[in-house]
Formats: sequence, structure tokens, C-alpha cells
Amino acid sequence: MEFTPSELMAVSGARELEDHHVVAVGIGLPMVATFLAKKSHAPNMTILFELGVIDPEPIHTGVGLADPRVWYRAKVLSSFIDILGTVLHRGRVDVGFLGGLEADRFGNLNTTLLGDPKGKFRHMIGSGGANDIASCAKKTVLIMRQEEGKFRETISFITSPGYLDGGDSRAKAGLSSGGPSRVITDKAIFGFHPETKQMMLLSIHPGNTLEDVLSTLGFRPFIPQEVSATEPPTAEQLRLIREVIDPGRMYMG
Amino acid sequence: MNKLSSLSEAVASIPSGSHVAVSGFAITRCAMAFVREVIRQGIKKLTISQCVGAMDTDLLVGGGSVERVIYGGGSLDRFGRLGCVNAGIESGSIQAEEYSSLSIAFRYLAGSLGLPFIPIRSLSGSGLLGRIQERTGSDIAFIKDPFSGDRWLALKPLLPDVAVVQVQTCDEEGNAWIMGPKWDSPEQVKASTRAIVIAEHVVPTDIIRGEPERCMIPGLLVSHVVELPFGAHPTSLYREYDYDADEIRRYVEAARKPDLWKAYLDKYVYGVKDHWEYLDLVGGLRHLKSLRADPILGY
Repeated sequence: MEFTPSELMAVSGARELEDHHVVAVGIGLPMVATFLAKKSHAPNMTILFELGVIDPEPIHTGVGLADPRVWYRAKVLSSFIDILGTVLHRGRVDVGFLGGLEADRFGNLNTTLLGDPKGKFRHMIGSGGANDIASCAKKTVLIMRQEEGKFRETISFITSPGYLDGGDSRAKAGLSSGGPSRVITDKAIFGFHPETKQMMLLSIHPGNTLEDVLSTLGFRPFIPQEVSATEPPTAEQLRLIREVIDPGRMYMG
Repeated sequence: MNKLSSLSEAVASIPSGSHVAVSGFAITRCAMAFVREVIRQGIKKLTISQCVGAMDTDLLVGGGSVERVIYGGGSLDRFGRLGCVNAGIESGSIQAEEYSSLSIAFRYLAGSLGLPFIPIRSLSGSGLLGRIQERTGSDIAFIKDPFSGDRWLALKPLLPDVAVVQVQTCDEEGNAWIMGPKWDSPEQVKASTRAIVIAEHVVPTDIIRGEPERCMIPGLLVSHVVELPFGAHPTSLYREYDYDADEIRRYVEAARKPDLWKAYLDKYVYGVKDHWEYLDLVGGLRHLKSLRADPILGY
């Protein structure tokens, strides 16, 4: 069955989620991944939106977390303190999904600005709850397309810390746990090297070569002896994405 | 105690230079009518704080009322960036102190509890931390946990002069219900010296007494109550009305260019005497009725 790179990204994101996980998520592809997991292999998962929403069951797509369409049939409507404080900061979030304008080899993310922070720059979105999730979740999964200039040797700004300069630098900065576990792009899936903490290629999506993966990265990731092919989506996963979760292709682009 | 006021009286109670915590999250429950009146009254040099920057803050900045923004980043969701805030940051015309959602919420929480500081796990290792230290020097510190000896990042409380909160329902004393997610509204109100409540409906206190567990804001914190229909327009108010996508698009478009932006302010802010004229300008009852929320869906 044919599928798009976005669909494979969503399915790969869903595979990172287990039943009974508590998951913090924003709008877009990560939300598709999360609802897909919930509607298939992880029915007892809990979904959190930072502004105070637990386990919604939307029947319409929304323009963002501020759209009441994505709050529909929530079990709890509360607050930042409740979600980001008593759930996330308390250490109860298993997986947080993050994306960004730029990422580096250690999974540090920039959503703040493009350019020179001390000179000319274009200011973008900033953190929202992203820095909190990157700092406090048990692990994070990064979902980003490998567009030109997105994966760079050096990023303009670290909004959400990954492994900082690699090795034990995350712990030294005061972040004793957590950190990114996967980077899911439209070409491949990466993990992180257990010691150096640099991105490590795990699998390449069908239809791509190693050269395709490397040519749009601004650095060379660690490439282990064995690199597999990413498992394609099942027919049922594609049906859920296309007919149930995002029939208007609002999130999938 | 009856605190019912006109919008202009409530706004006039805020001196230039005040610190105001405002209600919105991106494009929902924003204090838009309030902000338009602040700009019309020529109140300047405000410090604005908010967990996630929203359309109310953006319009205030675009209207020239703001000197300093303390926030956790933000956008207008899929409609676009915070055009005026971003332009202000890029040109240096406003001072922006940028945190994360939770760190602002914690600063309000510390303020609401009367605590001198609050420790947090967020911000460490990020570029945000360095920038905040550069800008303020004194709002972040590292401390030692007196029990474990661990090193913690500590934040100073936020203590706004006034919180402006947009709600669905309250009584004339300001006892207020907020329907839907509350984001930082409860902590904003409780950290501030006083609050201005802007409500879609003002109901008799007997209604509030009938379901006291729904009350998010006790009237004792409130100085003014303003009853205004569609006070958050063009943003949404859960269970009352949807966002007005066309009007938000017009705003985003105007915020891209200085001449378009001046025309926008002339039309939507200075070109109307008050909120009632504004509602007529954007299409009156016929149009506004089309935004009314479905009672089951809430939007």
C-alpha cells in the first residue's frame, strides 16, 4: 500500500508509544502519532495538552492548541500548573513530542529565532511548553522533516535542551534525567549514541538511500554497522490516519 | 458589593507604567475589547506578562502601549506568528523577557502564595536561561536545596499590579466561572494586587452560590466587573463563541506591514468610540450570531 513520508513519520511516532504511557503533545504530526497509538495499540495511554487538557477525543481538526475543537470530550480541563506542574514537573510524563525550526546532532532544538541572537535575527515562536517538556519528561521524541538547513552543526539558539554538548553535559547543566530518545524525520529514524549522545542512524525509510539521508544533514551522524529499513505503515494504520484522525489532511500537510 | 463598571472606567483605573497580566492563550479567551480600550485611552509603558503570548498582548504591543513583555513564547496558532511582539523584539522597541510556559506559571504561583522564590527544573542548559540572566540579572538565581544539598534554579515571583481576565460568567462582585481550560488565569489573578473581570454574562450571586465549586476567581480579588458581549472577539470564548478566522487573518496580514498596520489601528481601534461600535464594524448581530458556539461541542 502506498504511503507518504508524513504518514510514515506519524506511524513511526506512534510506535514509540506504549499502552499506559502519559504523553505530552502539541498540534500537528505528533498529535496524529499520539491519536494513532491511542486508537490502536495503546488504548490506555493518557494524552496531555499543556494549557490544561487531558485525554480529549476531537471529532474536528483544529488550528492549534487554542482551538476548542481539540479539547472536545476531554476528561479534564484544568491549567498549566495542573498539567505542566503536577504531571510533567512531578515526573509523570513518559514521552514528550517536540519539533523545531532547527536541531543539532545532540538533539538540541531551536524554536526561538533564526539568525544571530546578538545581531540581526528573525524572532519566531519561542518555547511555550517545549523547554519544560525537554527538561522534565522521562524522554522526548523529536519529529522534524529533513528540509535544507533544519539539521545543523550549530543552531542559532537552544530553546529546548537535548544532550547539549554531548557526553554528560546534560547532567552537568542540572538536567539529571530525560533527553531525546528518537529523532523521526521524513527520511530516517535516529537514536542517540549511549556515550557520545550524538545522533545515531537506526533505520532508513523505504525509497531512500544512505546518501539521501546524509545529504540533508548539516553533520554526519554516528552510523552503526547495522542500519535497518523502517517498517512501513500497516493498512489499518493508514486507514486510521486518513479516515478517522485527519480526514481533511489538516495536520499531515 | 457591586463592582460593575463600564469598560472605560475599568481601563482608566490602570496608570501608565503598570504591570498587567493578561488573559489570552494564542487565539482564545483574549482580553481584546480591554486591549482596544487601553490603546484608545493612550495608556503607555506597560509591562505585560502571560504564560503563552496571545493576540491581546500582540495588539497591545502593536498599539504602542507596551515597554516590556514577560512571557513564555507564543503564536497565533496556524494563523501566524505574534507579528507585533516579534517586530518589537527584532527592532528592540520592546524589552522581551522570554521564559517557558511553566516557568511563567511558576512565577505567578510563587506570587499567588506569597513565596519569595520558587525552584524549577526547566530552563537549565538552554539559551533562554542565559538571555534572561543578561536582560534582568536578578530574576533567576541558583540556590542550594537546604535538605538534599542539590543545586536548583530559582525564579522570582511575578506580582502584577492588575490581572485582566476574560471569563464566561460572574456576579457583580466578580466571583467568576472560567469554562474550558484555565491555562494561567487562576495564578495570574491570585498573584496580582487586584483583578479586572470581563464577563460575557453577569448573573445574580444566587446563581454563583448555587454551584460554588465552579468558582475559579473569588470576588475578594476583584476591583472591577465589566459585562461585555463578544469581549474576546476575534478570539474564541469556549462554550460562548468561536474565533473569527477572517478577522484574525486580516489582523495577521495587517501586522506584516507598517502602513497596513496603521490603517488597521485606525479602523478597528481609533475608528470606533467603544466596544459597541466595534461589534457593528465587524458585522453586527447577524455576523456575530454565526460565531455562536454549539452548546454540546463548545465551539
